[in-house]
Amino acid sequence: MAIQLNDVKFSYNKMQDKPVLDIPEWSVGMNEQVFIHGRSGSGKSTLLNLLSGILRPSDGCVSVMGQSLGKMSARQRDRFRADHIGYIFQQFNLIPYLNAVDNVRLAIRFSKKTTHSELLDSEIRTLLMTFGISEEHWKRPVSTLSIGQQQRIAIARAMINKPQLLIADEPTSSLDQNNRDVFMVELLKLVKAQRITLLFVSHDVSLASYFNRVDSLSDINRAGGCA
Amino acid sequence: MFLKLAEKSLLNRKGSVILTVLAMSVSVFVLLGVEHMREQTRESFRGTVSGVDLIVGARTGSLNLLLYSVFRMGSPTNNIEWSSYQQIASNSKVAWAIPIALGDSHKGFRVMGTTADYFKHFSYGRKYSLTFADGRAFDGVFDVVLGSTVAKKLGYTRGEKIVLAHGLGQTSFSLHDDKPFKVVGILEATGTPVDQTVHVSLQGIEAIHVDWQQGVKVPGHKISNEQLMAQDLTPKTITAFMLGLTSRMAIFRVQRDISQYRKEPLTAILPGVALAELWQMMGLMENTLRLVSGLVFIAALLGLSAMMLASIREREHEIHLLRVVGASAGFIFLLVEMEALLISVLSILIGAGALYFGLLLAGGFLSSNFGLHIGANILSETNLAFMGLVIIATLLAAALPSFFAYQKAKSG
Repeated sequence: MAIQLNDVKFSYNKMQDKPVLDIPEWSVGMNEQVFIHGRSGSGKSTLLNLLSGILRPSDGCVSVMGQSLGKMSARQRDRFRADHIGYIFQQFNLIPYLNAVDNVRLAIRFSKKTTHSELLDSEIRTLLMTFGISEEHWKRPVSTLSIGQQQRIAIARAMINKPQLLIADEPTSSLDQNNRDVFMVELLKLVKAQRITLLFVSHDVSLASYFNRVDSLSDINRAGGCA
Repeated sequence: MFLKLAEKSLLNRKGSVILTVLAMSVSVFVLLGVEHMREQTRESFRGTVSGVDLIVGARTGSLNLLLYSVFRMGSPTNNIEWSSYQQIASNSKVAWAIPIALGDSHKGFRVMGTTADYFKHFSYGRKYSLTFADGRAFDGVFDVVLGSTVAKKLGYTRGEKIVLAHGLGQTSFSLHDDKPFKVVGILEATGTPVDQTVHVSLQGIEAIHVDWQQGVKVPGHKISNEQLMAQDLTPKTITAFMLGLTSRMAIFRVQRDISQYRKEPLTAILPGVALAELWQMMGLMENTLRLVSGLVFIAALLGLSAMMLASIREREHEIHLLRVVGASAGFIFLLVEMEALLISVLSILIGAGALYFGLLLAGGFLSSNFGLHIGANILSETNLAFMGLVIIATLLAAALPSFFAYQKAKSG
C-alpha cells in the first residue's frame, strides 16, 4: 500500500471533543492515481499535512510507502518527506525570490546528503529542459516568469528527488481551461511513466474524468461535511 | 544554500530591511561613539598633567588646588612664601621644582608666571613634553609664551606686543599698559589647559606689580625700565609649585613632610589621584550618556523585532513551502535568526565604518577647536565587546519572531 490510514483522528485543540479529521480506514495502492474531491474546510489541508508528516495525528496510525510515520522522530519525518514525497500547490509553489535552478536545488538540500554538486546541477538542467523551461529563464527570479512556467518548474522541483508519492493540492486553479487540460495530460503521462502514486486533491469535479478512482473527502472523513 | 536563502529573502524585502539596518546602524554608531569618546576624553583628561609627582599650594582641598593650579579655574585661597618654596625645592629628594604665580589675565586668558624650567619638565598625556610651534621659551623679563589656543583665538604671531590686565576679568579696567610684553614663542596644541595660558617669567609678574600697592596703581609713581632692571625682581610670594622627585618611592614621604611644614600650612597633592577624583564627579554624566545610547539601541532592536514579526505573517506560504520540501521547523527558526544576524553584522559594519570615517574627518576640527585629541581607532577592547553584545542582543531580539515562525512551521 502506498498510503494506509487506520482510525486516524486529528484535532488542533486537545480539549476539543470534535476532531477536524476522523478517518476509520482509507488506503491507496501503489502506482494508483486517486482524485480526492473536497470543498475547502473539509479537512483537506489537514489530511495532506498528516500524509506528509508535518502534523501528527492525535490518534491512529498513518503509514506512507509501507512506513509508519508515527514511529519516526520529527527529523526523520522531515527527511522522509524530502526523500519520498513530491508536492505541487495551486500557488506559492516556489520561493519567489529564488531563480528556477535554486528552487529545484532547495528540494535536493533537504534530501540526499550532498552528492557531487556538478552532477546535481546537470540533473537539474536536464529536468528543467524536460519540462520545457528554456535556459534563458533559469537564472531569473521565478516571480518574473508566467504562471504556466512556474507550474512546470514546480513539477520539476517535485520530481527532482524521484518521489514515490506525488501530492497535488489544487494545482490547476490558477490555470485557464486550455492550460489546465495540457497540464493534466502531461502530469498523468509523467506519473504513469515514472510509476508514481498520485494523490490529486481538488474542489473541481470536472477534473475527475482524468482519474479511474475518485474519492470524496466527505465520504472518507466522518468528521467532515458540516464544517 | 542556507545563507543564500537568508540573503535573498532579505533582498526580497529591501524596503523594510534597509530601514531596519539604518536604525540599527545609527544605534551602533551612537553606542560605539559614546563609548569611544568617553574613553578618549577620560584618557585625555587624566593626561592633563603627567610626569609631575606633587603639586604644592597653600592649605586647601585637593580638588581646589588641582583646579586653580592645573585647570586655571577658581581662585587660590592663599599664596606661599618664596622662602618656603626654596626650602622645599632644596630637599635632596626633589629633582626639579617649577613655581607658579597666577592672578593676572590677558583678554580672558589666565596669565601664569613661572620659570623656563616649566617648558623643560612639564609634560602631559603619555609624557609628551611641551614643544614650540614657533619661537622659544621666554628669556627676558617682558617676554611672553602663548598657548596655542590663545595665539589662534587672538590672532597673535611672534613679535606681537601685548598688555596684561590685573585680575581675572575679561574686560579688566586696570591694565598694566605701561609695560607691554613681547611674544617670543607659541606652543603646539596639547589639548590641555596649557593651550589657554599666557606664560611669562616670575620676574615679569613681579615687574608689572612693582609700582602697585593693594591691587591698584599708585598714581604718579612711575618706574622706568632701567630702574626696574636694577631692582631685585625675585618674587616674595607664589601661588603654587610643581615637584618632580628623584624617585617615585619618595612621593608619600615628601607629601607628608610638606603637610607637616612648620612655617606655613601647605597642601601637597598627587595630580593623578586628584584628576581621577575629579573625573569621578563626572561619572553621573558618563552613565547618563551610556544609558541614553543603551536606550537608543533597545529602540532599534524593538524595531528589528517588530519588522521580523510582521514579515513572518507575510511569509506563511513560504514557510509552508519550505516545510513541504523537507525543511525542519528548526531550520525555519534558524533561517529567521540568520536573517537577523545578517542585519546586525551589516549594521555594525555600517555604524562602525561611519564612526571611523567621521572621526578621521572631524579629528582635525576637534583638536584645533576644542583641543580634543580623539583617535580614530575605535576597535578598543570595550568596543569589540560591545559589538559582540550587539550581535547577541540581536539574536535574542529575533528569538521571538523566530519562535513565531517555528510555531507556524510546526502547525503546517
